[in-house]
This record gives sequence, C-alpha cells and structure tokens, in this order.
Amino acid sequence: MSEKIGIYVCECGPNIASKVDIEKIMDEISKLEDFKDKELVIKNHKLLCSNEGKEFLEKEINENKLTHLVCAACSPRDHDTTFINVCKKTQLNPYLYRIVNIREHCAWIIPDKEEATRKAIQYIHAGMNRVLYQDSLFEKELDSNPDVLVIGGGIAGMEAALNLAGEKRKVFLIEKEENLSGKAVFLPEQKISDVQKNKNIKVFTKTVLDKLIGFMGNFEVVLKSTENPDETTELLAGAVVVATGYEFFDSKKLPEFEFEDKDDVINSLEAERMFSENKKITLKNGKEPKTVTLVHCVGRKEVGFCSKICCDYMLKISNYLKEQSSSIKITHLIKYLNLPYKNSQNFYNKIKEKGVEFIRYSDLSVNGTKVEYTDINDKKGKLESDLVILAPAMIASKGSQELAELLNIDLHETGYFQEVHQKINPVSSTTDGIFIIGSARGPANIIDAMQQAKAATGKIFTQLIPGEKIIPEVMVSEILEAYCTGCQTCLQVCGYDAIYFDDERGISVVNEAVCRGCGNCVGSCPSGSIRTKHFTNPQLYQEVKEAIR
Amino acid sequence: MDNPENVLIIGSGVAGMEASLMLSKAGKKVYLVENLPIIGGKIIKNEESFPNMDCSTCLVAPIQQEILQDANIEVLTLSTVEKVTGKQGDFKVTVRKKARYVNLEACLGCGMCYPVCPVVLKNEWEENLMDKKAVYVPCSGSLPNVPVVDASECLFLNGKDKSCNKCVEACMFGAMDFSQKDEELKLDVTGIIVATGFELFNVQELENLGYGKYPGVYTAFEFERLFASNGPTEGKLFLRDSEKTPDSVAIVHCVGRDEVGYCSNICCMSSSKHARFIKHNLHDAKIYNIYSDICLTDKSYQKFYDETKSHDSEFIFQSDRKKMNISKKDGKLEVSYFNGKETKESILVEMVILANALRPSDTIEELSKTLEIKRDSFGFIEIEPSKIGSVETSRPGIFVAGCAEGPKDIQGSVIQSEAAVAEILSMLDR
Ligand SMILES: Cc1cc2nc3c(=O)[nH]c(=O)nc-3n(C[C@H](O)[C@H](O)[C@H](O)COP(=O)(O)OP(=O)(O)OC[C@H]3O[C@@H](n4cnc5c(N)ncnc54)[C@H](O)[C@@H]3O)c2cc1C
Ligand SMILES: Cc1cc2nc3c(=O)[nH]c(=O)nc-3n(C[C@H](O)[C@H](O)[C@H](O)COP(=O)(O)OP(=O)(O)OC[C@H]3O[C@@H](n4cnc5c(N)ncnc54)[C@H](O)[C@@H]3O)c2cc1C
Ligand code: SF4
Ligand code: SF4
Ligand code: SF4
Ligand code: SF4
Ligand code: SF4
Repeated sequence: MSEKIGIYVCECGPNIASKVDIEKIMDEISKLEDFKDKELVIKNHKLLCSNEGKEFLEKEINENKLTHLVCAACSPRDHDTTFINVCKKTQLNPYLYRIVNIREHCAWIIPDKEEATRKAIQYIHAGMNRVLYQDSLFEKELDSNPDVLVIGGGIAGMEAALNLAGEKRKVFLIEKEENLSGKAVFLPEQKISDVQKNKNIKVFTKTVLDKLIGFMGNFEVVLKSTENPDETTELLAGAVVVATGYEFFDSKKLPEFEFEDKDDVINSLEAERMFSENKKITLKNGKEPKTVTLVHCVGRKEVGFCSKICCDYMLKISNYLKEQSSSIKITHLIKYLNLPYKNSQNFYNKIKEKGVEFIRYSDLSVNGTKVEYTDINDKKGKLESDLVILAPAMIASKGSQELAELLNIDLHETGYFQEVHQKINPVSSTTDGIFIIGSARGPANIIDAMQQAKAATGKIFTQLIPGEKIIPEVMVSEILEAYCTGCQTCLQVCGYDAIYFDDERGISVVNEAVCRGCGNCVGSCPSGSIRTKHFTNPQLYQEVKEAIR
Repeated sequence: MDNPENVLIIGSGVAGMEASLMLSKAGKKVYLVENLPIIGGKIIKNEESFPNMDCSTCLVAPIQQEILQDANIEVLTLSTVEKVTGKQGDFKVTVRKKARYVNLEACLGCGMCYPVCPVVLKNEWEENLMDKKAVYVPCSGSLPNVPVVDASECLFLNGKDKSCNKCVEACMFGAMDFSQKDEELKLDVTGIIVATGFELFNVQELENLGYGKYPGVYTAFEFERLFASNGPTEGKLFLRDSEKTPDSVAIVHCVGRDEVGYCSNICCMSSSKHARFIKHNLHDAKIYNIYSDICLTDKSYQKFYDETKSHDSEFIFQSDRKKMNISKKDGKLEVSYFNGKETKESILVEMVILANALRPSDTIEELSKTLEIKRDSFGFIEIEPSKIGSVETSRPGIFVAGCAEGPKDIQGSVIQSEAAVAEILSMLDR
C-alpha cells in the first residue's frame, strides 16, 4: 500500500492563524522535495479540537484512506489524546499519527511572523519524517485474577479482607502469629468472628510470605508456615495488601532509661491491656498506684518522627486512672501535645480539669520509677511515683525490610512502607497492585487503619474488576535477542523490575506487562540491543535531523 | 431508574476529584457539583505543598484535566444541590446551575474579554489582594479555563448600561452568551459523596491580633497567594500595597484554636512551609514561628519541621494563646506573648502571618439540611458513630470525605475519598 499522509493545520482561532502564515505553510509543505513521491492531503481548519473539527478529521481520515496523520496544532499536553481518540474511531492506527506543536513552539513565542512560519514548516516537516517511520501498535488484553492476598491479621488487614471479599473475589489473609487480632486492644466487636465466618476469606495463621512474582492482575504467591518452613502453599492473586502493623521502639536501648522488669515501669500497651483485662491498672505487687508519671515521646528523637497517636492514647490512659481513683496524682511529661483528631482537644481540656498535670520537658532520665527531667525553661525537676508509663515510639514491624524485598516495594526512610505518591496516591506502594495500609504505612489509630483499608479496597475495586481484562502499556521496550550479550546492565537500571534474565538463552528479556516504557534500559545497554516501541532510534533520528537542521 | 449506576459528588477539591476519577474508572457516571466556576478546591491556592514542596499545580492540573476530558464525569460548575429526596440506591436530586454567560464549548480561554470590561471588582478568590473584572477567571491557570460573568455586576446584565457589549465584541469566537439562563437539573443517583472542604476561621474575631487594622498582618491564605507565581504579586513577597519586602516575619500558629475547639491538624506544617518559602526567597529575613504545640501527622513531617527549625526559622513557645497581642511600634509590628516561664516577651517584625484554624465551609449548614445529614458539635459532617472506620454519614447512601469531615492534609483527604468509593461500590454490588 502506498503512503498517503494527511497534514492538518489548525488555526486555533486567531491563536495560530494570526501569528504564522497558514497559506504559506500549506504551500511549502506541498512542495517538499523528499515527499515528492508521496501522496499528501494538506488542509487547514479553524479549530480542530472542537466537535466539528473532530468530525471533520474523522471524515478526512476515512474518505482519503489516510495511512499516516500529522496534526499541526497545539501542545500534546492539550490535545494529543483528543486526536488519538479520533484515530481510534477510524481505520487508522493511532500510533501512525503525530501531533506537531506549532502554537506554543512557534506562534506564541516568535514575534516575527516570517520566522515563526519558517519554524512551523520545519517542525511539520520533522513530524512528517517521523510519522513515516512509526509502526502500528496494538493494545493487548490480559486476563486478570481478582483475588487478593492480605498480609497481616490486625485491624487493618481484617478490615481490608472483609471489605474486599465477595462472590467474585476471594481473599487470602495471612497472619504470622497464632491468632488474628494484632495489637489493637479494643477491637471493634465481632471483627474476628466476621472474618472467620466469611466464606470468601481464607485465613492462614502462623503463615508468612515466601515468594511473590508477577504483576498486577497476575501475581504468583508462595506462602510458608512459620512452624515448618517446608510446608508451603501456592496460590494466585491479582493484588496484595500489606498490613503488617507496627512495633514499639525498645526503650531499654536508651542509655538514659534504666529500669528492670521488676520495676513498676511499663509501656502504654501493657497499661492498656491491664485495664482491658482487669478494669484496673495496678503495680507489680497488685496494689493500685497513688502517683503515676506518664512519659511521652520515648525514642522520638532516635526514630526521627512523631508517632502521631500516643499523646491521644496517653490522655485516655490518664482518664482510666482517674476513673479508677480520682485521687491519683498524675503527671504527663510531654515534648509537645500532638492532638490531630478533632475530638482530642475537648478530651484534653476535660482531663486537665480533673487535675492532671502536664510538664514540658527538654530532657529526662528514668531510673526505675524515679524520673529526673529538665523542663523547657531549663529548670530541673524530679518525680518519684509509684508507676511510670512510657509511650515508646511506634516503628515498622520486624521483617518489613525482608517483606519489602520479597514484594519489590520501597521503604520510607523511617522504615515504614513508602507510598508511590505520598500526597495523591497514599495507599498505593511503589509497585502496581500492591497496597500499604494501617500502621505498616505509618502511625495510625484504629479509625485511620480502617479507613485506609477501605481506601485500598476502593483502589482494588476500580483497578481490578472481576471478569475485566487489563490492558498493559503498549509503548514498551523490547530486547533484540540477536544483539543482547547477556551483560545484564539493563536489569540494574529498570526501576520497575520489568527485565529478567533468561538463563537458558543467556539473554535479558523484558516483561511487557510490567514495563512502563520509561526508556532507562535503552540508554544503558552497551550493545544497543534495546528499543522502546514508538521511540525507536530511526523514529527519533528522522524527526530530530529535520528539527535541528 | 434510567441508569442505576450514577453517583453525585459535591465539591471538587482533592477529595471530590479523586472519587470522581475512581468511580469513572469503575464505569460509573459521575456528576461533580462545584459551586465555584472552577474545579480543584483549596489546594490550587497553594504554590507548593508540604512536605516535599511539590508544585501544587503540577500535582493537581493533570487530575483536573483528566476530569474535564473524562466522558463519564459531568462537571457542573457554578452549581449547588437544592433538594434531595428518596433513599440509598435511588436518590432524586435537584441541582441549580447558575449561568456562566460564556459558552464552555466555544471559549478557548484566550483572555481577550476581560481587559476590555469597564467594571473593576475585588477578586475574593485572590483574598481581595487584586482586582478582577465583571467577566473574569479567578486566577490564571483556572480550570476550566473559561471566564464567568458576575451577573450582579455586569453592566449589561444588571441593566445599568444596556449598551455595554465590550466583551462580546472582544471575543473572536462568539463565546460570550448573554442568553444563558440559570438551569434546574434533575438527577437520579444511587449514592452521594460530600466533599465540600473547609474555610478559614475569621481572624477579625480576634481583635488583639490586629488583622484589618495593620496592613502587615496576613491570613494564611493571603500569604499562600503572595507566595503563588500566578497570584497578585507573581510570587514576590511584597508587603501590602507596596513593593517593599519584609525584613522580619512572625508566623503565629493556632490562631482561633481555642475558639473553634480543636487543633486544625495542618497549620504547624503549613506554617513551617511558609517559613521555608520566605527564607528561600529572602535569605536575610528574620523569621519566627510562635507555636503552642507542634502537630505532625505523617511519618515524614517531623523531618520537615526539624529542618525548618534548624535552617529557616526560630521557633518560640507561647504558653497562653489568649494573651498574644499585636500592636504598632516604631513603624513595625510588635508581637507580644507569654513565654514558657509565663513572662511577657515581644518581638518586632514587619510582617505577621496568622495561621488561622480550619472550620467547616460556609455552605455546610444549608447543605446538611438539604441532605438531611448530621453534623458534629463543631459543624463538620459527622460520620455515623455506630459505623466505626466507615465514612458513611447519618443518612445511608451519603458519604463524606476530606476536610468536610474535619481538618486534614491532602493525603488524609484522598484516603477518605478512596474509602468512600469502596463503600459506594460495595453498596452498588449488593
Ligand atoms: C498503647 C496503645 C493504645 C492505643 N489505643 C488506641 C485507641 O484507643 N484507639 C485507637 O483507635 N487506636 C489505638 N491505638 C492504635 C491501634 O493499636 C493501632 O491503630 C492498630 O493496632 C493498628 O492496626 P494494624 O492492623 O495496622 O497493625 P497491628 O495491630 O500491629 O497488626 C498487624 C498484624 O500483622 C501481623 N504481621 C506482622 N508482620 C507480618 C508478616 N510478615 N506476615 C504476616 N503477618 C504479619 C502481626 O502479627 C499483627 O497481627 C493504640 C495503640 C497503642 C500502642
Ligand atoms: C494555608 C493552608 C495551606 C495548606 N497547605 C497544604 C500543603 O502544603 N499540603 C497539604 O497536604 N495540605 C495543605 N493544606 C490542606 C489542604 O488544603 C486540604 O487538605 C485540602 O484542600 C482538602 O481538600 P478537600 O477536597 O477536602 O476540600 P477543599 O479543597 O476545600 O475543596 C472543597 C471544594 O468544595 C466546594 N464546595 C464547598 N461547598 C460546596 C457546596 N455547597 N456545593 C458545591 N461545592 C462546594 C469548594 O468550592 C471547593 O472547591 C493547606 C491548608 C491551608 C489552609
Ligand atoms: S504523638 Fe505525642 S507522645 Fe507520640 S511522639 Fe508525637 S508528640 Fe510524642
Ligand atoms: S523501558 Fe523502563 S520500565 Fe521498561 S524495561 Fe526498560 S527500564 Fe524497565
Ligand atoms: S457586558 Fe460589559 S460589563 Fe458586562 S461583562 Fe461584558 S464588558 Fe463587562
Ligand atoms: S474572549 Fe471569548 S474565547 Fe477568549 S476567553 Fe473570553 S469568552 Fe473565551
Ligand atoms: S496544627 Fe499546629 S498550628 Fe494548627 S492548631 Fe494544631 S498545633 Fe496549632
């Protein structure tokens, strides 16, 4: 089939028309030496992106049976997709079309009309050169598996499982301990039994992840038992939710904290559990304390972040103590009071009214139940109380590093899992199809953890619809077998882990479903054996040679 | 029901936009109702977002564009919800859509119409720091990039000068359209997400802080606009009505906190952001952050705060917010406060930025009545207390996300909106 290239020059109202000579552009393009033997259709239009313009373009493509299309118009940011969508309605493969920006690159920046016109002609010429070297590309459809693997059986993981599981979507929930529940002391009622009763959730306790390969929609998962590492289970899932929770920073690691297990120095979680079991917080000898010191921000400086929720629950513990006996003398040693939840301030005011004291410290040391501190005015003080309750910093749970490696997702510098975009994509990890929620993502209370579980559910519901195929990127890289020397340089530079090494053939291979077409590997290959579709060397050369002439 | 899969989203901030795009991807038809002429919400007032100092426009413009181009999302700007009847799965909604007087399809956003308009008005979107015309876009880069005519101020529309058609003449695309009328739309939807965001506490309530009296005192949003490259000073830090840059700045945290009754969650970070921005632009400026507590809600925030504290600003603790006073002294502003020892101290500065508290948006009272949903004691939309961890309101089928529920940062707002999508989709599946 001989080539028939359509070149459509948009006037963009007066935006382009008043700044370049449209007639001259069309005339010169029609006379290009190197296109003498090609059939050209050259037309202008007042506003190609308007509905009328799009219909015009569609008709032109069909009636002229164009084999290639160049639109000389505005920035591809504005209307590349507009014209791609027009192509999709016709027989013309959208990858045989090219937009040329004669508005931002010519009309709007070159005051001299003649010069602007000349440059526009040159750019259109470059676009025509390129489009001839472009290839048709076809979107592929891949089957996807809607099932989800949830790692961690705390409140976040259980909530995700309950929201995700349904007739068309199974959930595999794995927990490394013997029982579901995690660290939350006051779990919303019936969560555990709801999970256990749900026939679409399969729970694996004393189980951890052993291996995961694949990509969103098609992960191959291997689980292993914590008791017997040889006992493995293989399954398939389309998405993974990571909800492995938090752990306490070890207060005993701090040189200024000297206490032993026999001392009445406990951490907040121990206090909380004691209260939930006995409705009382007591000393090691069973007696009730008369004086209590609550120390905030233990290890905060060492871990480098504020744990967000401890001020809030320390107030709650203070309230338990006051309810237990209104005469208990309570002192909070605080750095700052961090009360980000809207009801906390009122609660704090109430606690203060009950006579609880707050001292702002800059430094302190704990020696058994003796606490010495320096306050923010450099005044030194000492508190000797019956009981000391510590709020240790909350850090990512043990094994997060290994899990991140198994899942090929990034960790934040604090050790928690990292969002792909902290602001606008906050529960998605750096790998497609893997989500991070609850206190594995950063300090969170129960409500935060549950809402994040729902957020991940929303993401999965919209990205992995049962029965729907997934369409991977088509502008991906390919490695030409004949040239690849098997040096594996490209494996190092691919940020998406899209390249694997085929031992048998001794060459590197791109997994097209994972590749995003970023082009990193292309530049890294010493033998020049990688090309990114739609951005091949000949395509770029043809365009650039004219554009910089 | 014509289409059982429609969803109504009220408010087009980060929360409303995220929910719209997700629901569209799931194949639902979305009506996105926004009472302003533009979409994007409060975040587009900000040049940069903490903690990574991402360019805010770069964060949200692609999202705004995607929404405007998405065939499943019908964006209804200049619109409010007037009436809602029915129940979960089958709501009947009446939306009032005000006339824009500019044809959205025909307008190219060339900007030829506003310079010629004779009517000069204060631009509230720019915190009244600059003027606009009767035909205007709130700021450059507005999306949709199509002006709107202020019907009560336009001479032709209010009848003061029936012969004025300067904008009509200036428009080469015939996009001005004074024949447009306000419309009433009837929508059938299965679920509703309320994402109407927040407003700032009115600092004029606190006379001791001198806002309105001393031109050197700014609100947080006024400062955001000064800091914006598309704002009134194109990002230059000029003191009000002058071309002088301040040599010293005090940033006061927790303004209005006692009055509203809660900590606003983001202002420690936005105030640190402001300190950083000033320091980057005016290297020699002396900057003070006067705080009473430090609230850091994300794993990454402490580092941002620590770095601001060590490089950009002196952080001063005040023990009693009510005792702060701002007055004029030696041509400067004297900020006096009680320090940690509870003794009075003061600093002299040329500029003061008040980090005002976040409060429920103005329209929320009426909207909550229309929707028959409950609000909490502060006036924010309340999540049904029996549904722990959910984002459903007191009325089944109506959900809330973002700052409409309480103060929070961008990611906090986005998380709730993604959660609302999950709940709507589970509801539709049932
Ligand atoms: C003292 C204290 C008091 C609190 N009080 C309150 C309160 O009053 N209200 C409130 O809302 N919040 C409170 N919280 C916070 C609450 O505990 C947390 O929000 C909640 O525990 C977070 O749940 P999660 O599911 O994210 O993590 P976790 O509860 O830590 O659960 C994580 C689960 O994952 C499992 N796991 C970890 N690694 C793996 C692995 N590799 N493979 C498989 N499984 C794994 C763990 O065994 C655990 O079961 C309090 C916290 C503390 C410390
Ligand atoms: C000074 C300042 C600086 C900030 N800086 C940052 C930062 O750097 N990083 C960060 O993470 N966060 C920052 N924030 C917080 C951020 O602005 C919010 O998290 C975010 O805007 C919340 O988004 P939203 O969608 O909930 O609400 P909004 O952004 O308020 O959007 C709500 C939308 O609903 C519309 N609306 C209201 N009522 C109605 C109605 N009745 N009908 C129809 N539409 C209606 C409004 O016009 C608006 O467009 C800052 C806040 C302030 C005050
Ligand atoms: S929440 Fe409170 S106790 Fe916890 S680290 Fe932050 S300031 Fe310290
Ligand atoms: S183009 Fe980018 S994503 Fe694709 S294989 Fe190469 S480096 Fe990886
Ligand atoms: S008709 Fe006149 S007053 Fe009204 S918007 Fe146009 S130019 Fe302005
Ligand atoms: S002159 Fe016309 S096309 Fe240009 S911005 Fe105004 S209404 Fe839109
Ligand atoms: S976030 Fe900071 S400035 Fe804002 S109210 Fe809370 S403590 Fe005050």
